[in-house]
Amino acid sequence: MNVEQTTLPKKYHDAVLHWQRHNFPDYGLLPENWQKYFPSDPEFCLCAKMEVGMGDEVEVGDAKGAKRREKPEELGEEPAKHLLAIIRAQASTEFGSIQQHEGTFARAQDDEDRFWVLRVMAEELRHGYQMFHLLVSQDWSGVSGQKAEEMVEEILSMQTGSHVLDAFNLEYDSFVDNVVFAAVIDRVGKYQLSMQRVCSYKPFAASMPPMLREEAFHLAAGVIPLRRWVQRAAQGNALITTSAIQKAFNKWMPRGLEMFGHEKGGESNIRFGFKNMKNAEAQGLYYEECKRMIADLNQRYIRARLPKLSPEDAEALATRLLKDRARHDGISHEDLIELPAKGFFRRKGDAAFTMVGFAEEAFTDVEEYVRHLAAHLPEPYLASRDMKHYVESLRQVVAGTITRDQAMKKMPALKRVGGMCPCSKSVRWVVEEGATTLPS
Amino acid sequence: MNAVAELVRIRSLSELDIARIVAIDERLSGVYRPEVWERRIMYYLRRDPDASQVAEMGGKVVGFMLSDLRGGEFGLEETSGWIERFGVDPDFQGRSIGRKLFEAVVEHLKRQGATTVRTLVEKKDSELATFLRAVGFKDAPLTALEMRIGLSAAKDQN
Repeated sequence: MNVEQTTLPKKYHDAVLHWQRHNFPDYGLLPENWQKYFPSDPEFCLCAKMEVGMGDEVEVGDAKGAKRREKPEELGEEPAKHLLAIIRAQASTEFGSIQQHEGTFARAQDDEDRFWVLRVMAEELRHGYQMFHLLVSQDWSGVSGQKAEEMVEEILSMQTGSHVLDAFNLEYDSFVDNVVFAAVIDRVGKYQLSMQRVCSYKPFAASMPPMLREEAFHLAAGVIPLRRWVQRAAQGNALITTSAIQKAFNKWMPRGLEMFGHEKGGESNIRFGFKNMKNAEAQGLYYEECKRMIADLNQRYIRARLPKLSPEDAEALATRLLKDRARHDGISHEDLIELPAKGFFRRKGDAAFTMVGFAEEAFTDVEEYVRHLAAHLPEPYLASRDMKHYVESLRQVVAGTITRDQAMKKMPALKRVGGMCPCSKSVRWVVEEGATTLPS
Repeated sequence: MNAVAELVRIRSLSELDIARIVAIDERLSGVYRPEVWERRIMYYLRRDPDASQVAEMGGKVVGFMLSDLRGGEFGLEETSGWIERFGVDPDFQGRSIGRKLFEAVVEHLKRQGATTVRTLVEKKDSELATFLRAVGFKDAPLTALEMRIGLSAAKDQN
């Protein structure tokens, strides 16, 4: 590949490995099993990869045509602050997703699925490492007000519940979440990385192509198990039912849509040359792509039940079943998967706390809406802290005790935890050179 | 370039192309085999999604070419691009889609350092061989050999 690989200075590299020991203890299984599940693939490397040969000109925005920036101070204060927030949020998502995956990945019923997810987790670790490379290889203190160590430490201290984006603050309930997350949330990642490929800050732009190539595998690690699960469900040999898959989609899709930012936003990203699409445009394309993914899954299900149908006939049957809410040749519309409406179960953006139903129904009674959500979301998730906070906020919005804006800012409800490693109160995530470290 | 050819969009392979690749293969081979393509496409995606390309017309995938960059195969130490799977929907053949796919794949392989592109063709598949020669392939100084082993070999001998 046309990439340059680099490692972080030792103290940061060690900090990431220390974090991995606490948050990703199964990491060691990957090299042990690499040849079995990924024969002939280059071995995993925990390093930053920079694409060689990226263009030198800014592609979009106010500085279009000018030379790409290579240092934060060349960006100007406001754009530099804005980009720093993007890099930190990106880093938070990478480490956050590993914490989420780790909870349930061992529950996979199929070893191949499990090792695909394990590789996804390792590559997310590399992506977090990549963002650290961007943070520590240049001086951001002019806009961050923090030393590089402090930024790294803050990100490594985040836990599920204290990450920047809501999607990374939800616990997984089962291995279905590992897979649906890869298909739905990593797909948002693909959009963000694709948009950021044009970035006017060259080191960030050069980070994107290697990450995007890895992201293609992550999406496949979501979609291919889903395809196999629906096929087995259709053949009456269901490890995972389509109803369980549907509910997992309902849990993750709203959070995925919100990861694009408010539907009215994204102007600054274009102006500063950081992305090439506004939020609503990218979100719209994402939603259509998710529709296509679901249509493929439904076609896979129908053809497993009715193998003599052509692909076109299977697609037409799925459309008809879902439109007429009907049954045909023993297949019900309830056997298929549907995408929830864009406004369903939203807590950020245009539709936040507006009580839009799964099929775009408008609710006015909060308790009726809560019952509707209960019928469409995974049962274990209903008992989660996240759901409890959402319902509390929704009741307050409907009662008029808080505004929608206030409710949006209330989530997530947890505060950031401190910058200490959990193995000892006296060991920090990033150890100063020469300091004494205690064994973990 | 004619008007139809201009509408062809060539892009990197994605996991959402599986259904259409399965459908194209089904039209070409008469066999519905999604499991095979799920496994193969996962392979190409995890190796390098840009080394495999699909052709879209009107938002629908109408052709694909799957390739991979490898070195050290069969004692060939140089890094080579291997074109291993290729198909164009019969309704869209004769529109230079194969050539466009080939050009995109080769362009990427070159950028990644390949100096040679290799493939194998079944002797009976003269149509494919004609296409490959038309885009520039020549006979290689290698001979493909095989030997049947196991149950089918025993049947052949009987």
